Amino acid sequence: MELAAGEKEEILKHVGAVLEEFKTTRESLVPMLQAVQKKVGYLPELAMEKIAEGLDIPAVDVYGLATFYNQFRLNPPGRYQVKVCMGTACYMIGGKVALESFERRLDIQEGETTPDREFSLERVACVGCCSMAPVVLINDMVEGRVTPTRVDGLLLEYKDGEEKISEENKEEARTKGADNSSSNEEGERSA
Amino acid sequence: MSAKVTLTIDEKEIRAANGDILLWTALENGIYIPNLCAVKEREMPAASCRLCFVEVEGKKKPVTACTQPVAEGMVVNTRSPRVDRLVKTAFELLISDHRLGCSKCPKNKSCELQKIAKERGFRLKSKRLKRLPKKEYIDDSAELFIFDRSRCVLCERCVWMDRHVVNSGVLGFSRRGIERSVTTFMEKKLAQSPCAGKCGKCVEVCPVGALSFKDKSERENGSPEGP
Amino acid sequence: MSVSAKDSYQKLKTAAQEKVKSLNDRPVVWVGTATCGKAAGAVDVREFFKEEIEKRGLDVRVMEIGCMGHCYAEPLVIIAKPGHPRLCYGYLDEGLTRRLVQDFLEGDDPCYEFALVALDPNDFFPTFTDFPRGVYEKKIILEDCGFIDPESIDEYIARDGYEAVAGVLEMEPEEVLRQVKASTLRGRGGAGFPAGVKWEACRKAAEKTRYVICNADEGDPGAFMDRSILESNPHLVIEGMVICAYTVEAAQGYFYIRSEYPQAVRRVNNALEQARDKGLLGNNILGSGFNFDIEVFEGSGAFVCGEGSALVSSMEGEMGVPRHKPPRLTASGFRGKPTVLNNVKTFAYVPHILRKGVEWFKNTGTEKSPGTAVFTLVGKVTNQGLVEVPMGTTLRQLIFDVGESVPNEKEFKAVQIGGPSGGCLPESVLDTPIDFDSLYDAGAIMGSGGLVVLDEDDCMVAIARYFLEFTQQESCGRCTFCRLGTKHMLDILTAITRGEGEQGSLEILQELAEDVKNGSLCNLGGTAPNPVLTTLRYFGDEYEAHIKERRCPALMCTHLVAFYIIPQKCSKLCNACVGSCPTEAIYTRDDGLKAINQEKCVKCNSCLKACPPEYNAVVKLSPPELVEERERENNK
Repeated sequence: MELAAGEKEEILKHVGAVLEEFKTTRESLVPMLQAVQKKVGYLPELAMEKIAEGLDIPAVDVYGLATFYNQFRLNPPGRYQVKVCMGTACYMIGGKVALESFERRLDIQEGETTPDREFSLERVACVGCCSMAPVVLINDMVEGRVTPTRVDGLLLEYKDGEEKISEENKEEARTKGADNSSSNEEGERSA
Repeated sequence: MSAKVTLTIDEKEIRAANGDILLWTALENGIYIPNLCAVKEREMPAASCRLCFVEVEGKKKPVTACTQPVAEGMVVNTRSPRVDRLVKTAFELLISDHRLGCSKCPKNKSCELQKIAKERGFRLKSKRLKRLPKKEYIDDSAELFIFDRSRCVLCERCVWMDRHVVNSGVLGFSRRGIERSVTTFMEKKLAQSPCAGKCGKCVEVCPVGALSFKDKSERENGSPEGP
Repeated sequence: MSVSAKDSYQKLKTAAQEKVKSLNDRPVVWVGTATCGKAAGAVDVREFFKEEIEKRGLDVRVMEIGCMGHCYAEPLVIIAKPGHPRLCYGYLDEGLTRRLVQDFLEGDDPCYEFALVALDPNDFFPTFTDFPRGVYEKKIILEDCGFIDPESIDEYIARDGYEAVAGVLEMEPEEVLRQVKASTLRGRGGAGFPAGVKWEACRKAAEKTRYVICNADEGDPGAFMDRSILESNPHLVIEGMVICAYTVEAAQGYFYIRSEYPQAVRRVNNALEQARDKGLLGNNILGSGFNFDIEVFEGSGAFVCGEGSALVSSMEGEMGVPRHKPPRLTASGFRGKPTVLNNVKTFAYVPHILRKGVEWFKNTGTEKSPGTAVFTLVGKVTNQGLVEVPMGTTLRQLIFDVGESVPNEKEFKAVQIGGPSGGCLPESVLDTPIDFDSLYDAGAIMGSGGLVVLDEDDCMVAIARYFLEFTQQESCGRCTFCRLGTKHMLDILTAITRGEGEQGSLEILQELAEDVKNGSLCNLGGTAPNPVLTTLRYFGDEYEAHIKERRCPALMCTHLVAFYIIPQKCSKLCNACVGSCPTEAIYTRDDGLKAINQEKCVKCNSCLKACPPEYNAVVKLSPPELVEERERENNK
């Protein structure tokens, strides 16, 4: 894949930082790939090459790992990553129906990204919310009891709505808020 | 010097060094046990082809000879209904995923699969199992040899050679499950890889026609054809 | 040694108890925010509470807890108000939140009509022991899950947490090992290998650099016990690991947690930091001179990494590919060093055993499988959630008493136990006691604790196919049997679910299943055929129906069913089905009745669900040819 202008520098910057952050031993390979993917969104060829160089290991081993583990992707994901849970409970209760609904509505197959790079679609093994089956993750937001009509609703929400912040960011924002409020509480109490 | 032990393989009494691996002891004493992935020098055996099953008296299930150290008084049978069944299934499974067409294969008559079939009386076509669709992938970019992935049985020998003897780090594995394959970085052609396919050591250990020297094979044989 | 470990601990405990007490003399709302709670909207509920409390200027703390195991009623909260027993409320939404704040927190009416259960004995409202579930359940490792703040080490310490470590540090490691062995605690990862024997093998190894690893690579679909424990009570597991490390004389430990569990990773990391701060991890633990620390390694998503040698490979930066064993990990594990690898739950029992004694532990459960079993009870069962019952409880008690049977008046068909390595057991073997050996004999395995209840609407061939598809996709691909054998088995099962099964398919399937079981390199392959073998054994007639009649008795295999609207039942005036159809396959006929264009139908079940119960006009028919037959009859 051709990298756009600026992308190369961006990737090199992140890989450089990761090589600084971790011990340069083979044991750091998985955490390094995780860290790069967190920053870049996927594992570009250039990043894999540079990590192999940095760790002094064969590049094919980095490629091997990147293709072995589910977590890693070699292509940029969509802005919204839709992950349909295929755990037992979800599968039995309609996970497949949900997956097919997304495929139909987004006009892509599982593992693909829409041409406008808005949505990518994949299946995940159990996310551990079986009582909410069928479950779908959109970025880090967990959506339970997803029926075909709910799929339409979700897509509308994400397409038209304001950009949703991920659960993690929201969490952070809220924890900050919580910290403030508790310190206020303490203040009130002592006052 | 490790102590010597005496064991029996197919009723033949054999002396071997304590801790020797059963597969090599048998082979060196003229007793054939089917195998594809075994490499004598390899410290941790791959034990991946699952063809070298034997019965060891006292063990509940057949064991792989490539992982079994010999011991004093050990009684081994290379054949039994249970062993034959496992080996036959393993063989059929490998064949179902292996591009046949022996007559045009560069390894014809020196192929380990053919040898196993002959020794054990297996057919090269399975009646039970359907053939798995196999994606064609042939890399003839290297100067010395051709890599035909659709003939690969994933014995790991070439990768072991690449790592532990040649130290080139060109070959490795990618993906997993049914998609596991021997590959180069980003599936690049061998000619573009650091070794440029110049030494050919990996070809020497390939038990089948996946890696073959060019002077033995004619170029047009690389084209796909049925069995 | 100037101060003993027990004295150091006592100081920590006194401080923790005072801190916890000072916080609890005013009302507290605990919101269950484990992943399952969050999926049900717990984060919003927490915010509603905060807003409402702030608006009314009340002095109430809003805190987070983990999972109580009552997933069916999420989002859940516990309200502790001085003068009242702690009360648990379920199915929270904005309205109920407002009501609870207004009536209970501001006023003094506990709104019993919305309460599920009380946590403290009282004269007004039933507690857990008053429900059938409470009678059968016995909580050891889940005892505090959902009842303490997983982010606060003080709460854990205040409830005797880390007391076992303090005691152990004043014992000889041999003595600790003797007790763990005497307890006959069996590993909860699935196979049930005695933990003490494993620890002893590691301790006996000549090599002195040793490791302790907690296996939290919980990959079984439909199982989330380990996640819940780590999210709800991480210190319990850490404490177990410290005790193990002291016993085998290891200085470094690891949590191997799947990256799909970000919340568990966060909470464990937070807990590790707190433990270090209190001197319960790191150098010179509790002043004893013993050093041990733990790091978190995030797995990258490969089911096979639950297998010990694959897990270690992946920590070493390799593919998670298993190798032949022996050597076992206790001889050659992480970095080639002796390693104890135990499941989350196994470690969680250890502090309890050391603190309360071997005899106490052996009083629960059966002789050969002492203690409790933890399951995620999901699927077609009323009370879904996390349950802990004594070993020896029967499957029937677990499903029908604890789980309160199959909902919607459907017929129980099978229970899938042990995930992709386990099996499907029918009604006839439900009196099997739950323990490692009995389940194995029935063809399933204990597994790590996934338990999915299936009813008459679930097709056993499709279930077997589902699990095989899972293991086939998760196979590392190294060995012939697992890589190719599971693929062929899956192909045969796929054909059967599509009505393309052939004469002899079942014989080949059975042979392959047995050979993959006997011939595979590791246990992933060795157990992968179990779902197929058990369904062939107990539900052979369903397979036959698919092959011989092209009929799916459970009406689940989409290739073998068609949807049909019964004209006599259709109301004409209602458009529910039309609106529900995602592909516009339903149209209104000239006579006003609805009908389905079979070409367009994707068999998603929406119309069947949408059709109002008073009409109940949509049905599934199998084989699909029955639709034409019905149409012909109706046109006569």
